Amino acid sequence: MQPRPPIDFRIAEVSGNTRRRETIRALLADSGLGMDSDITTFVEAWSNDRLVGCAGLAANVIKCVAIDEQWRGENLSAQLLAEVEHLALARGHFHLFLCTRPCNRERFQRNGFWPVVQSGENAILLENTPSGIQRYCRSLQASRVAGQRIGAIVMNANPFTLGHRYLVEQAAARCDWLHLFVVSEDASFFPYSARWKMVQSGVAHLPNITLHEGSQYIISRATFPAYFLKETGKVQQAWSEIDLLLFRNHIAPALGITHRFIGSEPFCDITRQYNHSMHQLLAGAVEVVEIPRIKAAGHAISASEVRRLLKTHQFSRIREIVPDTTFAHLTSHYSAEVA
Amino acid sequence: MKIVREALAGTLESSDLMVKIAPAGDGLEVVIHSEVIKQFGDQIRQVVHSTLRDMQVHQGLIIIEDKGALDCVIRARLQSAILRAAPDAEIDWGKLL
Repeated sequence: MQPRPPIDFRIAEVSGNTRRRETIRALLADSGLGMDSDITTFVEAWSNDRLVGCAGLAANVIKCVAIDEQWRGENLSAQLLAEVEHLALARGHFHLFLCTRPCNRERFQRNGFWPVVQSGENAILLENTPSGIQRYCRSLQASRVAGQRIGAIVMNANPFTLGHRYLVEQAAARCDWLHLFVVSEDASFFPYSARWKMVQSGVAHLPNITLHEGSQYIISRATFPAYFLKETGKVQQAWSEIDLLLFRNHIAPALGITHRFIGSEPFCDITRQYNHSMHQLLAGAVEVVEIPRIKAAGHAISASEVRRLLKTHQFSRIREIVPDTTFAHLTSHYSAEVA
Repeated sequence: MKIVREALAGTLESSDLMVKIAPAGDGLEVVIHSEVIKQFGDQIRQVVHSTLRDMQVHQGLIIIEDKGALDCVIRARLQSAILRAAPDAEIDWGKLL
């Protein structure tokens, strides 16, 4: 048997580098994979002048791992993963997630990744620690409150509107205690710190609420890439299931959550599909309560409408659909642009 | 030796191992995965724990992904990872070896 030529690992920044992207895209296509647009860096494996393997890194999420057919069975993916882990740590990410298809589960499990949750034959989420989700659930348990009806809401609040406040008030009134999670992924128009403050001051009048910082396990780039990428199709469906299974199997039991509250979604297809999956997947474990959106001047209130109005500086119309607390934030941060 | 930051050492190549270390507030957690755990599990655990003891590591999460490394390799990789994870200190190599 002829010895293989040595493998040369290279780090490729692909944002803006179209030619590099196309080479990788071709390798991914051979493995039936598409390229996710949020991947900034690929670790590439080269043999002479041929790209034979790649692994993508989007912040702390590894995806789009592919090996040339002729190079399979040579432990190349293990080498690639080790390279990615070193690279990620150098960039400050130690806790890594890996998104793949369940048929690859064992290959990654042999290389330092542990399954977190799996959605049928479509998608599986793994992490590079054996106790990540358990640790997170232990930290949640500290906020457990006893009661018959324990509610949960997950919101992005981009920004916090009267609609969000109504949803929270309705939920809090129907529960002994309400756990409110603010999505912490910084991929929205308003940064997380601003969204957090708007929610905090917007629900301060309610006595039976715990506000939780979101986490990697709740609608994050790891659990739910489509929410931020706004892609369509099967991928999105699979990852909304991953997110919901995490909630059902880990988060809800940790806090003793019995009800999850959502607002009806007339605008965004992804959120509507997510709500639909929620009814199916949480059935029997957590009761899903869908509360119709409130309207202002005949239209359902939405955060995207606020963002649209903000761009055109229509503050008088914004005032009609956000609480005073949010309005104060918006005027102090964005009205300078008007003057 | 106190674990104050995350660190990695090693590779996933055959006959090597990858060590991952992270700080943890609640004691020492050691996870060992090995392709030869059935044959050499006790020996590997013994090397790992004696290395940790020698370096006085009492807290942290230690994850080991072993691909059939020799004892001396296990010890060396673990030492590197611990030194990378610990605050910069004078190293007494004589003691380590």
